[in-house]
Amino acid sequence: MSENKNIYKPIKAKLLEVITESPTIKTFIMEPEEEFSFKTGEFIELTVDGIGEAPFTPSSSPLETKQIEVTVMKTGYVTEYLHNMKAGETLGIRGPFGRGYPIEKFYDKEVLILGGGCGFAPIRSLLYNLVAISDKLRKVTLCYGSKTPDECIYQPYVDQLRKTPKFEVLRTVDEPNESWSESVGVATVLLDKVKVDIKNSIAVCCGPPIMMKFGTYKLLEMGYPENDIFLSMEKNMSCGLGKCGHCMMGKYFVCKEGPVFTYDEIKDQPDIWS
Amino acid sequence: MNDITNMKKFYSLLYPDWNSAIDQLLANYLIYGPIKTDDSIDYEIVHSENIAEVSYNIPKPTTPLKTFFLPVKENLTTKISSISKRIIIGTPNCDIQGLKILDEIYLDKDYIDTAYKEKRENTILISSSCFETQEHCHCMIYGIQPFSKEIADISISRVDTRMHLEVLSEKGENFISELKNYAAVSNSPESEIKDIELKQSKIENEIIANNSGLPDYKKTGKIVQKAKEEIWNKYSSKCVSCGACATICPTCSCFLLIDKPNFEKVRQLDTCQYPGFERVAGGEDALGELPKKFKNRYFCKYVWKPQKFKSLVCTGCGRCIEACIGKINKNELFRELAN
Repeated sequence: MSENKNIYKPIKAKLLEVITESPTIKTFIMEPEEEFSFKTGEFIELTVDGIGEAPFTPSSSPLETKQIEVTVMKTGYVTEYLHNMKAGETLGIRGPFGRGYPIEKFYDKEVLILGGGCGFAPIRSLLYNLVAISDKLRKVTLCYGSKTPDECIYQPYVDQLRKTPKFEVLRTVDEPNESWSESVGVATVLLDKVKVDIKNSIAVCCGPPIMMKFGTYKLLEMGYPENDIFLSMEKNMSCGLGKCGHCMMGKYFVCKEGPVFTYDEIKDQPDIWS
Repeated sequence: MNDITNMKKFYSLLYPDWNSAIDQLLANYLIYGPIKTDDSIDYEIVHSENIAEVSYNIPKPTTPLKTFFLPVKENLTTKISSISKRIIIGTPNCDIQGLKILDEIYLDKDYIDTAYKEKRENTILISSSCFETQEHCHCMIYGIQPFSKEIADISISRVDTRMHLEVLSEKGENFISELKNYAAVSNSPESEIKDIELKQSKIENEIIANNSGLPDYKKTGKIVQKAKEEIWNKYSSKCVSCGACATICPTCSCFLLIDKPNFEKVRQLDTCQYPGFERVAGGEDALGELPKKFKNRYFCKYVWKPQKFKSLVCTGCGRCIEACIGKINKNELFRELAN
């Protein structure tokens, strides 16, 4: 990194398209004005000009360098503004920050992914990456849960994945409707249905804190070693640089040493699930 | 900032000559020094008329040194003017040592904070040995001496009518060369160096005696980890989350990034003692309850950052005790738990 680079200055990115994924979730496709690339699982700080900045892990493929996508749930101040933005407007991007998924550790393994709600966003980026290197993997199983069928995001991508060799997708919803034909219940119920060779497998978990907590406990119960469970942690990452202190989780700056940690690394730190 | 490791270099000049040299240095530098008012002592901008009011060898000024490098509020994306060269005179070693952790964080080679770096590079630090101590000074307990041997560029002491300047860095060496343009500078006589050392060791002993029974920095971490929830509930019951302890702390350096139009970013110092510090979108807040917030600062200083960084995150300056409107005394907490 250049010593004189201003680490706080965002680069501009043109909003090309906004896709409505669910009543509360939208995907924003952007084209950065300067060269920008990331590794899957790393995150960016997205600036809504004059309003605020918030951390998002891109949902697009890390192999795509012209455009970048983030999938955002409307939950707070910045995301509310973001949801009102239209194609043609300009956003700011800083990053990429942190430590993403250690893909090379997945080689020759089965990858079990547990995701919930908007946690599918970083997972989709990971899946794009895994599809590209599928010859190096044994199998990839995605267990995805959401509240209602309406809130199951990325339907076209799920259809595509289901047709991809070595990839399997199991889904569940808490509140099914008449047309729902897949599982019912919280995301962890899917873990009872998967057939996985744990010794040759690693697990990835990304979603709301409550799902991460019980998902991790379930994975441990299934026999996954603590250092084979990769968690994408959510804290109040603000500067992204290990300086502002807002994302401290015990001894870690989640923004710099995370956001992806093994359970082993963080199990003794405080408040990991909140 | 390279330390000079060879033998001690003491230079000496008469107090009136020092003052007149400062007056001439004002043409090239913005100079700050501690000046006493009726009820406090704090850094003021030095100008021709107040040079003689600058105090030497006194304990800490009210404001911690960090604010010279991390101002309360600062635009990080728009350069308003180039940073002028500065000299800060009279900083005690507790504050000088406090810069170590700030350097580790802000000059971290992965992400160098240029705003901080420029200020560090453009500042000559003239630390002064403490020849007095205050009620809550406890630097020695954490292994910090009341006089500087590193980080600062010069360590200054006033003995009677003479000023003695010990060079601690290359920048300090250059300062002496510059000083020689304005005043007659000689080597300090051995006897006066001894005199300074005597004063220093007297203060060291005084600080140790004033703080007998206070656990050192090796023990504080274990004490914090072992403390039961009742302790945090008890001590935080008087806390009103005003954040004074963190604001006035020479090592607390967390901040908030504020967005302004045209993608400008403004840094404002922040603290985990304020509401919503760890709140995420959706409302989850790990520090939502006051005892948790209170406890967080102790864990940060005595457990987590020591696991992560080499530098001390409490320098024993005692400002947090003096500033607390709830009269919460962290040393009372440590004493209670040490027994």
